[in-house]
Amino acid sequence: MKTFGRIPLTASGFAALPLLIVAAVVAALFVFPWLVASPYLLHLMILLFLSVAMGESWNVIGGYCGQYSVGHAAYFGVGAYAALMLLQYKHIAPWWGVWVAIAAALIISLLIGTICFRLRGPYFVLASIAVAEIIRLVVLNWKQLANGAEGILLVDIPPLMLGGKLVTDWLSKTPFYYLGLILALATLLVNYLVQHSKLGYYLQAIREDQDAAHSLGINLSFYKNVALAISALFTALSGVFYGLYIGFIDPTSVLGVDLSVQMVLICIIGGIGTNFGPVVGALVLVPLSEALRANLLSKFLFSTGVVQETSRVGGFLKENLAHAHVLIYGILVVVVILFMPDGVLGFGKKLIARRARPLSATPTPLVGGLDGSA
Amino acid sequence: MRVLIQSTASGILIGGVYALVGIGLTIIYGVMRVINFAHGELLMIGMYLTWIIFTSFGVDPFLSIAITIPAMFLFGAFLQRVLINRVLNALPQNQILLTIGLGLVLSNVVMLIYTSDYKIITTRYSSSTINLAGLPISTPLAISLLITTVITAILYFFLLKTDTGQAIRATAQDRDAAQLMGINVKRMSVLAFGIGTALAGTAGALVSPTYYIFPQVGGAFTLKAFVIVVLGGMGSVIGATLGGIIIGVTESLAAVYVSSGMKEVFVYVLFLLVLLFKPAGLLGRSRM
Amino acid sequence: MRSTAEIARCARSASLSVAALAASLAFPGWVAAETLKIGVINSVTGPEAPIGENLTNGIKLAEEDLAKSGTKVELVWEDDTGKPQIAMSAMEKLATRDGVAGVVGPYTSASANAVAKLAQRYQVPLLVPAAAKEEITRQGYQWVYRLNAPANVYAQVLLDAVTEVGKPKTIAFIYENTDFGTSTADAGKKYAEKKGIKIVADEPYSKGSPDYRSTLTKVKSLNPELVFMVSYVVDAILLMRQAREVGLKPQAFLGGGAGFTTAQFASDKAISGNVLTSTQWADDVKWPGASDFAKRYLSKFGKEPTYHAACAYASMMIMADTAAKQGGDRKKIRNALASGSWKGIMGDVKFEAYDGYTNQNKHPMLVLQIQNGNFAAVYPPDFATKKPVYPFPGW
Repeated sequence: MKTFGRIPLTASGFAALPLLIVAAVVAALFVFPWLVASPYLLHLMILLFLSVAMGESWNVIGGYCGQYSVGHAAYFGVGAYAALMLLQYKHIAPWWGVWVAIAAALIISLLIGTICFRLRGPYFVLASIAVAEIIRLVVLNWKQLANGAEGILLVDIPPLMLGGKLVTDWLSKTPFYYLGLILALATLLVNYLVQHSKLGYYLQAIREDQDAAHSLGINLSFYKNVALAISALFTALSGVFYGLYIGFIDPTSVLGVDLSVQMVLICIIGGIGTNFGPVVGALVLVPLSEALRANLLSKFLFSTGVVQETSRVGGFLKENLAHAHVLIYGILVVVVILFMPDGVLGFGKKLIARRARPLSATPTPLVGGLDGSA
Repeated sequence: MRVLIQSTASGILIGGVYALVGIGLTIIYGVMRVINFAHGELLMIGMYLTWIIFTSFGVDPFLSIAITIPAMFLFGAFLQRVLINRVLNALPQNQILLTIGLGLVLSNVVMLIYTSDYKIITTRYSSSTINLAGLPISTPLAISLLITTVITAILYFFLLKTDTGQAIRATAQDRDAAQLMGINVKRMSVLAFGIGTALAGTAGALVSPTYYIFPQVGGAFTLKAFVIVVLGGMGSVIGATLGGIIIGVTESLAAVYVSSGMKEVFVYVLFLLVLLFKPAGLLGRSRM
Repeated sequence: MRSTAEIARCARSASLSVAALAASLAFPGWVAAETLKIGVINSVTGPEAPIGENLTNGIKLAEEDLAKSGTKVELVWEDDTGKPQIAMSAMEKLATRDGVAGVVGPYTSASANAVAKLAQRYQVPLLVPAAAKEEITRQGYQWVYRLNAPANVYAQVLLDAVTEVGKPKTIAFIYENTDFGTSTADAGKKYAEKKGIKIVADEPYSKGSPDYRSTLTKVKSLNPELVFMVSYVVDAILLMRQAREVGLKPQAFLGGGAGFTTAQFASDKAISGNVLTSTQWADDVKWPGASDFAKRYLSKFGKEPTYHAACAYASMMIMADTAAKQGGDRKKIRNALASGSWKGIMGDVKFEAYDGYTNQNKHPMLVLQIQNGNFAAVYPPDFATKKPVYPFPGW
């Protein structure tokens, strides 16, 4: 019986157990809203899906292709603004607006790609930030374009025909839950397809050694632009989703550098360049930030008696832990980069692999696949 | 015409502060090839340090530089030893991410301690001016330009004439060759990061009488610092000085002739143009 | 070292609280008791926090008074960190999870506008205490009420005051590039045109900039007789400092509320002298209980209240009182707010429909002038305690 560590493989090499687990999880997610009524939990899940989508989209260009763009908010914001402006000002339903959003994002990604891909490594990072900031400042200052600082406030979402069912109730979270779930799954699928395709090989070659790839005849700018286009497309979709769900966008919330950094963080903390890395990253970051913001963590510490609510530490925690989530992100990033450069997922894989290696008197050579590499 | 002269003058004044930030960054990059995204936060720490000294001991911000410089130097050395050193050989992308994370940690720790309330240092001369040929020049900015010039001169002297300074330049020029020559490159890295941090903190101290202090103040300065460094040429101190002045004046003129909100756009566009057409900057690389 | 019994107790309570936590997440309201709840959305942290603190304190004083009068309410506090999206999440939580009878807040215009839409959707009475953006009560929302006067009054009352004592012909606008700044400045521009005052400069700035000198130099070269500024505290201070440096000397500096009405700004005498600012409230105004409120606030919190504190106090008193009388029924509260009238530290309060506004209190605004580091009411004549110094005597 072929095994990957302790995971049994079928004859054709497919790891049956993980596939079954994934299928079960997806099925559970689909059924989730029927079982749970709490809009708050649904809201958390929606945020989770959004984060997964953002992380997975970034992964295509950042993880597989190795081009760390810290200006991805440009696509997110352009997508959100395009769809919402059409909806709010021209009353064009977002089901059509989303195509415009995608087109806009693709055009911008081509522009950015042409300008920035000539630059290597850190210069590319800086250029991507600069471009995103330029877009943000233009949108902020050119009031006639997109209402500037006042942002766009959605008043109503038109009904949607979804597989024979007319969805008119956009007040409840359920339609957003499913849209979000589909978006997240779509980005996961795209990631998987890219990773296991020829495109994926080219991208990884570019990531590992650009010059060597070039000398092998790989057209650098073409493939980089393809990766960026895919990434931009799904980031824009995430932006549209965010805009529809939250109902309010302004330059800071959808075009800001903080958002770009967050997208990178989701991927890095989870495990860059892997399929499920961003999922892990989202799983770590979203519940953590909400638990901190809603003071759940402090309440938990108080009720278990670990910290006295009235003590100085307790008072400090109560006041401040809610705003500490960015601090925790920062610490996580530092820890991950220093000690777990493959992210939490990579670290986890190494742990599993290490435990799976049988103990023997002679040292076991590292066979490919057992050391946790993707 | 008056407006042109006045805004150029303000541009030069604020450019002096930018230059100091840029010099720090360029030294760090020159010696260690690390892109320090936490540079703005180091400036912010310098500002808070100045504020603490001002409010607790009543020491004037410009005088307290005597304390800020060594304190920030030690802080920078500490950061280098503990964190930056470990990623010197990692991918540049990882270095960037580490410093981004560091920046987040620094700004958020300060936010937890001091809240995001804006703090303002008000001295006797905070809003006074010197009259220079009919132009009102902000007193605190003029003093800071003076101090910046002095510090830059001392730094240049240090790098050119002293043994340690030359060792730093050698490390920047070719790390391996320097090591072969017997230079302790690890120590040079610590020194470089320490100096860079001290300069950033000093810039913060110098600008604190004319600006306000809050945990996220670093963000605006970091990106501008990079623009300056690239414009001047990565690793060139003179380049960073020139770059700072140029960016200061560009911003100032853009604010007057286009609009205050769009002035940063001009800086970033200039940045992209430099990256695309003259990535080595005005004065090339590794010439300190 | 803890004994095993203690550890066991800890573990038990830990697992119980985890269960309770999970339960309260899954079944909202299951763990909560049936008290009358009022939600509060405010900028407790974030860049607007210093002013947000005034609202918090005002509401705390209201809490005290409500307890004294025997009105039983439980306040549910939410921090929007100054961001509209977070305010919206907070509103959703208050409306659906906490089941509040009504909401007071938020502070910023952007958040208030975003939350108004949700209040209308979820049918929860919302009383906005201090946000200026006109649009908030111009959308025909039956569930949204506003206590303070909207942005157009900020500008109107300031311009009325200066045209009373002088004949300025030109005006320059310098304002921050945010929802609040833009909407207040827009209202100002419209009114200036109506009054026949020519707009010679229109300079929105991105807040957080260290250097406004170029903008101020440009404005100075255009020689405006009035300079109208809309900023929060620190920009107000920086702008005035640099205005002084650059030598900008109009006939009057007009500050559109917010930063210009804070004690911090006023105390910087070198730059705050003779600045005129419009405000919703002053501590020496002749409304019942106003000066007592100011004294109480000063002794409890160690600083003087801004108009935000007074607005928040009055809003909470009105909302809590109405909610208690209507037994926490949202529809009944809405009707009571629409038809009721109150008298308190903000003067007469009645929510009316006029000029395209719905449920808007016709609150008269005051013009204050900073004379020697202190605020003095100078306009309208009914409320004035001192005469305005006009034109600006120089630095």
